[in-house]
Amino acid sequence: MFGRGSQQMSAVKPERIPGQIVLEAKGLTIRFGSLTANDQVDLKVIAGQVHAVLGENGAGKSTLMKMLYGVYVPDEGTLSMDGKPVVLHPPAQARLHGIRMVFQDFRLVPALTVLDNIALAVATKGTRYSPKSMREEIAKVATRYRIDVNPDAYIWQLDLGQRQRVEILKALLSPDTRIVIFDEPTSVLTPHEVEAFLDMIQVLKKDGYGVLLITHKITEVMAVADCVTVLRQGKVTFSATKSEGFTESHLVETMMGAKPMPSIKRKEEVHRECLLDVKGLTVSGDHGQIVLEDVSFSLHRGEIVGVAGISGNGQRELVETLFGLRHTLTGNINLDGKDITNERPGVLLDMGMAFVSEDPVKESVIPGFTILEHMILGGLPMTPKGFGVDWGSTLRQLEESEDVRRLKLADPSRSASELSGGNIQRMVLSRALLRNPRLLLVSYPSRGLDIGTTKAVQQILSALADQGSTILLISEDLSELFELSDRLVVLANRQLLGPYHPLETDMHTIGRVMLKGESA
Amino acid sequence: MKALALQLRHPRPGLQWAATILGPLLAFALFLLISGANPIELYGMMIESVFGDWYGIGEVIIKSTPFILTALAAALPAKAGMINVGGEGQLALGALVATWSAVYLLSDMPGALGLPLMALFGALGGAVWAGIAGLLKTKGNMNETITTLLMNYIAFFTIGFFCQGILKDPASFNWPFSPPVAEQLRLPTFSVTSRAHIGIFIAVAVALLVWFVIYHTRLGFRIRTVGGNAEAARQAGINVKSIQLGVLIAAGAIAGLAGMIEISGIEERLRPTTGVNYGYLGFLASWMAWNHPLRLVVTALIIGTISVAGNSMEMNSGLPASSVQILMALVLFALLIMGRRKKA
Repeated sequence: MFGRGSQQMSAVKPERIPGQIVLEAKGLTIRFGSLTANDQVDLKVIAGQVHAVLGENGAGKSTLMKMLYGVYVPDEGTLSMDGKPVVLHPPAQARLHGIRMVFQDFRLVPALTVLDNIALAVATKGTRYSPKSMREEIAKVATRYRIDVNPDAYIWQLDLGQRQRVEILKALLSPDTRIVIFDEPTSVLTPHEVEAFLDMIQVLKKDGYGVLLITHKITEVMAVADCVTVLRQGKVTFSATKSEGFTESHLVETMMGAKPMPSIKRKEEVHRECLLDVKGLTVSGDHGQIVLEDVSFSLHRGEIVGVAGISGNGQRELVETLFGLRHTLTGNINLDGKDITNERPGVLLDMGMAFVSEDPVKESVIPGFTILEHMILGGLPMTPKGFGVDWGSTLRQLEESEDVRRLKLADPSRSASELSGGNIQRMVLSRALLRNPRLLLVSYPSRGLDIGTTKAVQQILSALADQGSTILLISEDLSELFELSDRLVVLANRQLLGPYHPLETDMHTIGRVMLKGESA
Repeated sequence: MKALALQLRHPRPGLQWAATILGPLLAFALFLLISGANPIELYGMMIESVFGDWYGIGEVIIKSTPFILTALAAALPAKAGMINVGGEGQLALGALVATWSAVYLLSDMPGALGLPLMALFGALGGAVWAGIAGLLKTKGNMNETITTLLMNYIAFFTIGFFCQGILKDPASFNWPFSPPVAEQLRLPTFSVTSRAHIGIFIAVAVALLVWFVIYHTRLGFRIRTVGGNAEAARQAGINVKSIQLGVLIAAGAIAGLAGMIEISGIEERLRPTTGVNYGYLGFLASWMAWNHPLRLVVTALIIGTISVAGNSMEMNSGLPASSVQILMALVLFALLIMGRRKKA
């Protein structure tokens, strides 16, 4: 149905007349179960203009783009191109209408060359393609947009920035492309590459492409956008064109929303002993790119240090390195005066650390094991009984714990792989708390939890710190960070910024640092 | 009509088992018919040859013994999330080292001391062979499925090399096999009417041991944790790599023991063909039993039975014994289909 035949039949006008409305979305709504991911979203894409879509993580930006690219079908609302209603699902249909998307995770075949990958995407007619003419076309487009990539290189040889350029070439080489959607394009780029990328966007504008730019970096929006839409919790909270005017501070405000200032109890300033000391830490991510560079900080006994930052700015790598799951490139980590750099997690657990991973569903659940069995994995000690484990005493310790009761942990005999995300979160939190850790590394503790349990978690963490434990708290929820933290640090641009004192700063300042770095 | 459709989609467990057992036999009967044999008569003879007398049963036990051990060599790594296809090569190396030790070191020792030592050497041979794959995995990040498989070929030619060379029997008239192992280093038999030897007890004991370790010890808990989710195991402070290496070495030792039993119990000397395919058939038995260390004893016996029945089929019908492998494949498919239904 979507084969070559229909491609030839479809009457797509490939013209790109600047100023003309190419795509218009009205009242787009999509629900996943009880969650309304997008609620009555309106959006226009105009040829020769850049439309930036801003929003925090989970605001519904990606969902919106996936509807425009035909991955999801909206539950309500209309999509029209050139004034006529269209159906964009599935993506093949969206591509026929000239919509191309450059994904965050690239859709390339690593074992093939750049040329082959582009040919796969572009040369759809017939079974053969001419490498020579393809090469010429690549050269032509590459020169025009100053996209520097070797067509004979294999994808696996390229770094992320180069792979992104291949994706862009794929989009631009299709003759009928009219709209290019970029999904957080600069998150994988170095500052130098970002500059080149923004230059390229300007050329795209000049050539009459409609560009949709998903981002949470305000500086980029200010540099290239003609029009901006801000999403928060699935709704459009702000929309303006350049002529109507928008300012940086206003954008930050609409993105973050007017969250109520939490009540912060001022803790007496006491001199606290240093527990964890990190010096000059440099860590690379899964793709070998540097995510943290020369980071230094220290954690004191009995304090909660909150880590703010747009996710993907090294939070994961930071805690994994502290817990010995990831090796450092340079730097030293000292716990209580002892060098624990690159020490094994088993040893660190014995030294009193506990760890709650940012993705427990994927990284903490053993299929087929019960909740009780999970408790002795990085939680309660494995009490020997003969050759086996004393499950009776494990169960007693679990049942005696006040924290576990407050977290409403599910029946310990239930298989963990059948649990919902929220119940798995309760399980990993209970496990870490049962350990009564000296140092707790916890990521997104209230993820997937209802309001009541979230409150309970926050009270338990507070109490734990009052008893002298140290907590490194990673969260996306600024109000949670402000409420719990004694000090705040921000991860942005490979740096750890701060510390800031929650009483001496406010959410908008922190939000600005998260988005733009210290220069804000 | 609707009830029938429903019944087909959600058959009762009893019916499922009947279909799993009878389906392959019916399909194989079709094959026999096409080849011009009388399936009913042939099935009768096959059953007769296997269960008709103690000799037949003894043959099944002899055949199944190495399958149980090589199946364990696949099942144990599977519990730690690894696929060991190398039972074949590990068995071969076990047989080689066991034979070498029997011929050069233990030939004058009394059996009570020599046999355990010979078993130890066999296990050592298999353990070293699997250990290489283990090191390649933990130090070199190489996939154990590939390395264990490839090392089977190296093992096969290594055995050939020794049988043709330094380990060749001077009195063999140039046939490629080793000198026989001394009489006291042969596994005792427990029946006068068959060749059945005590190897089966060793195999079942090892199966029980593996089962106990996996399901009832702290080590087994750690192994299953690694197999269930290696990242979670790492975060729980388990040294994933040393578990993986240890488990592969243990699996190799078990397969190596199978090689020793083959030499000591049946073959009495090493030949290039010693234990050929036993590793793969054991792998099959393990997967048919969903890698359960006790259930695989049953599936190994099934495969052993089919193998022995195959020999009688050759004698009675003129079809090659290998055609029984078609039946084996059909049984495997039936079991796999059933397993999939259970999961769905």
